[in-house]
Amino acid sequence: MTSGLLVIGYGNTLRSDDGVGARVAESIEDLGVPGMRGFACPQLTPELADPVSRAAAVVFVDASAEGPRAPVRMRRLEPAESSRLLTHAAEPSTVLALARDAFGRAPEAWWLTVPAEDLGFGDRLSPVGRRGLKRAVETLKAFHRGRSAE
Amino acid sequence: MAKRIVIDPVTRIEGHAKISVYLDDDGNVTDAEFHVVEFRGFEKFCEGRPYSEMPGITPRICGICPVSHLLASAKAGDAIMAVAIPPAADKLRRLMNLGQIVQSHALSFFHLSAPDFLLGWDSPPAKRNIFGLIAANADLARAGIRLRQFGQEIIETLGGRKIHPAWAVPGGVRSGLTEEGRARIRHWLPEAFATTATAFDLFRRTMASCPEEIESFGNFPSLFMGLVSSDGSWEHHGGRLRFTDSSGGLVADQVDPAHYRDYIGESAQEASYLKSPYFKALGLRAGMYRVGPLARLNVCERMNAPRADLELQAFKQMGRGAVTSSFLYHYARLIEILAALEHIERDLDDPDLFSADLRADAGVNNLRGVGASEAPRGTLFHDYTVDRTGLLQKVNLIVATGQNNLAMNRTVAQIARHYVRGETIPEPMLNRIEHGIRCFDPCLSCSTHAAGRMALRLQLIGPDGSVRREVVRD
Repeated sequence: MTSGLLVIGYGNTLRSDDGVGARVAESIEDLGVPGMRGFACPQLTPELADPVSRAAAVVFVDASAEGPRAPVRMRRLEPAESSRLLTHAAEPSTVLALARDAFGRAPEAWWLTVPAEDLGFGDRLSPVGRRGLKRAVETLKAFHRGRSAE
Repeated sequence: MAKRIVIDPVTRIEGHAKISVYLDDDGNVTDAEFHVVEFRGFEKFCEGRPYSEMPGITPRICGICPVSHLLASAKAGDAIMAVAIPPAADKLRRLMNLGQIVQSHALSFFHLSAPDFLLGWDSPPAKRNIFGLIAANADLARAGIRLRQFGQEIIETLGGRKIHPAWAVPGGVRSGLTEEGRARIRHWLPEAFATTATAFDLFRRTMASCPEEIESFGNFPSLFMGLVSSDGSWEHHGGRLRFTDSSGGLVADQVDPAHYRDYIGESAQEASYLKSPYFKALGLRAGMYRVGPLARLNVCERMNAPRADLELQAFKQMGRGAVTSSFLYHYARLIEILAALEHIERDLDDPDLFSADLRADAGVNNLRGVGASEAPRGTLFHDYTVDRTGLLQKVNLIVATGQNNLAMNRTVAQIARHYVRGETIPEPMLNRIEHGIRCFDPCLSCSTHAAGRMALRLQLIGPDGSVRREVVRD
């Protein structure tokens, strides 16, 4: 997938703002910024551990469960300590742990959450989701510029 | 005084659900139910949209089996247009479905069920997962992940890397296979075959060491349903429906999937959002049927894949007529992976895959269209009714997990009767009940069309409705 910054956005794009993470990743991929790739998926699955292990750094992007007033927030992620792959899907920290344990390396990783207002059936973002999408993409671009300048 | 145990939610399956186990005064299990507590509403959401949009919408129901919805939806569109799609389009759709079967079965076997096989039913739950599997056998765990990657590679090679490619469309597909894509898929095949062989070795050992589980995990007579070709061979995308009974006898054969409503009734349960389809002629109680790998192998006579056919012969010897143990869904899953790999290997040589003739065009010629395809978990129906302009008036989706609902209830009851004694809920018992559900690899996002995740709660409830005991697992 990439050896640079990998942005994995996940969520259900048929559940309105739940899909904002996936839309952020698609936007990043469409930008075509060198050294930064976007990958959108409905949910995190085990095979992501392979490309994650090969990325220089990873940002997971998801809709925030903290309500529409929550800010776009970026937090450092560590691999899960005692992880359980409960379902067909996994948490970001679980994917990191899988990358470490199955493929030998967990890169630096962050979790970017974007505020969500409407999680009902629908294939459009709410005004809150649209603002969050724009803000998240800008945040990621700035983050990538900062890392590239280091 | 009767009591009830509830497991809520069930782990390592997709969606959100709980299990209730009913006990009598003496602590004996009298019945059990598998509930789905997510709300369905997707079919209503689609009404008023053009049918041609459905292949772009329905894959979003589920992140695990989007290809199944994509293909069934495109086939429903074919029926509305009343077209025969170009042969190349049919072959390419089949190739993608084989990739879907491989990736989905690999996830089910290696990540969700193999921890029980390799680490043991009674091992600590904190270790009985993919990480425990890595600790015990990193090569196997990694190979399982890569086998799933291989299936995904086929899907992405054909459909692109977009999150929900509307690659299959009413009338055909948007693009064919490239030489580069074929080479990429072919490159993976030796590793995929080797991983599958390793999985067979593991599961043969499991079968040898688990006679009690084979006997008690959903082992009962039922009907089986799946698509077969005109000569009774294994089908996964075309063909017609076949129903067989537990003696292996034909109940209905070569049924046009468009006529499914003549054969399948749908019952709603008060305690669950999951519909319970049944074979109409026998009614709800006697008409229970199973779908998915176990059923497909029971209803077919051959798989037209030499190595898989050898395994199929061995599989069929495990039953008298039909193989009735739901525990052997796992074995059937491996046989289907092997058959899929053999079909992929052979199909890659077909020059039609590179044809430019990929799509038939027509307007609305039928006001109703049914598309049926074999999803990894079983037969999937998309039934659309449209107006003259092609806007959807009604949508009905019958998914595999729903069709297995009655059998999952019975499986839970059988396992609980075998292992539950009194009001204590030891972890290994809990895990065995959960595993009974995992045999079916249910996908509750699909069956209720809801976004959701599955996690586990077990409740013991007395006849007065009070919770006597509860175990919760996040």
